[in-house]
Amino acid sequence: MLNLFLTLFVAGFLAAGIKRPFLFVLAYTYIDIVAPQKVTWGFLAHVPVSLIAFAFATLAWMAADDKNGSRFSPRQFVMLLLLMYCGLTTSSADFPVEAAEKWGWVWKALIFAIFLPLTLRTKLRIEALALVMVLSIGVIVIGGGIKTIASGGGGYGELKLLVNDNTGLYEGSIISAVAICVIPLALWLAKHGTIFKPSWMVTLFAWGICFACILMPIGTQARTGLICVAVLGVMMLRSTKKRMTYISCVVIAGLVALPLLPHSFTERMNTIGNHQSDQSASTRLEVWKWTIEYAKTHPFGGGFDAFRQNEVSYETVKSDQTSSNNAEVQTQRIVEKGRAYHSSYFEMLGEQGYPGLALWLLLHVMGVMQMEMLRRRYAKNPPEGFAWVTPLADALQQAQIVYLIGGAFVGIAFQPFCYMLVGLQCGLSAYMGRIRRVAPPAFRAPRKTYGATGIQSLT
Amino acid sequence: MIDILTVMLPHVLMALAIWRLLARDDLDQDPHLPVNADVFRAKRAKPKASQAKPPAGKPGHSDA
Repeated sequence: MLNLFLTLFVAGFLAAGIKRPFLFVLAYTYIDIVAPQKVTWGFLAHVPVSLIAFAFATLAWMAADDKNGSRFSPRQFVMLLLLMYCGLTTSSADFPVEAAEKWGWVWKALIFAIFLPLTLRTKLRIEALALVMVLSIGVIVIGGGIKTIASGGGGYGELKLLVNDNTGLYEGSIISAVAICVIPLALWLAKHGTIFKPSWMVTLFAWGICFACILMPIGTQARTGLICVAVLGVMMLRSTKKRMTYISCVVIAGLVALPLLPHSFTERMNTIGNHQSDQSASTRLEVWKWTIEYAKTHPFGGGFDAFRQNEVSYETVKSDQTSSNNAEVQTQRIVEKGRAYHSSYFEMLGEQGYPGLALWLLLHVMGVMQMEMLRRRYAKNPPEGFAWVTPLADALQQAQIVYLIGGAFVGIAFQPFCYMLVGLQCGLSAYMGRIRRVAPPAFRAPRKTYGATGIQSLT
Repeated sequence: MIDILTVMLPHVLMALAIWRLLARDDLDQDPHLPVNADVFRAKRAKPKASQAKPPAGKPGHSDA
């Protein structure tokens, strides 16, 4: 049933692209996020649907789309440089086979992010892309949210999402961070959408998606997600008009939710401040130290999956209260090999070295600044029909900052969804640039004229 | 069962969105931007205008 439904949906999506070629871009976005070929076991699993959608999207853009006024933005150049640099490090990687495997999906994510802004020529396309991104994440998080309510998630790494392979967006820590990035976009769509115009039903669904997104860190018990929720909460304080009402609502919601949280979740979240007793947090710190040392001898990086050569050892400290005055302190030496970076920053440093890290940081810092400039430019008295710009720039900035802070604790430096966010930012910026270029110049009153000849005075 | 229901809902909404997008002209042509044909005509008109001789008696260039 699900198999047939998804096959028909993908076929219908691609067929719609024949009439409106931009829909191929949306189809690729959907396929890249949801990965329907992983969900089903039938026809879709044996056809390279992602490649087909991307090929159609590129060919349709080259053949039929209007390219007038399209410009390659500086951020697209940065992504192009990053792509070429990653290609170079892959060719000399410490683990060529594993590096080639990761390169196999990284280049697609980067190429699509470079290509995406060229296709986002209209406001409706920008909105449609945001909608497909939110609904595609919805496919993963709505089910995850319902399971969290029903079972509490069952412990770290136990929540069964739509696909049970613990890779990409179906990995607990990654989905808990990405889901939080989606919240500002969902709220923007509910307020400024034109495909689904604002109504109580749209608002209800948007709130439902946001709730499911917030449930992801609880269900997956990923500490990264909780940090992302806190960051977003603070960021939203900046854009809300009624700040005291907002703070009150957040406090009340927190007080109501706290007793309802699963015990295993609160226990795990308590380890955020006490890394010495937690093996996972201690491993991260040791791997980060190892990466800094590795970069000293390999400043240009070791290529994808360079972490496989690490070996870290550390002591965990546990104390058990044996009586009122005594506590038994136990130390245990742990040795681990080939542990992942668990941080986008260290992932970039270890795999792509200082040049790669610099390019990646430049890409994102430029994004935050670009959105800030757009946000301010249209904040006061926006021209008619452009009241949506500041809230969207705000939402994209919030999503990016959540990603950048969440990314400190999970390796999502090359997560395709995050590059789609970058592509969306570049598309919005390029669209507003075109709007400014065609806008009539500001009116200036004519200077003094002589009589009926209309000749201007030479002042 | 939960998976099937929760997969269906966003997919149905996406299908509805695609259906609506098919009928929207502003998907390919933004109302705030000039139509491609207008830009093309303006580009063609510019060189012609620059090649044309200035008309006699243009204000500001009096023969007197």
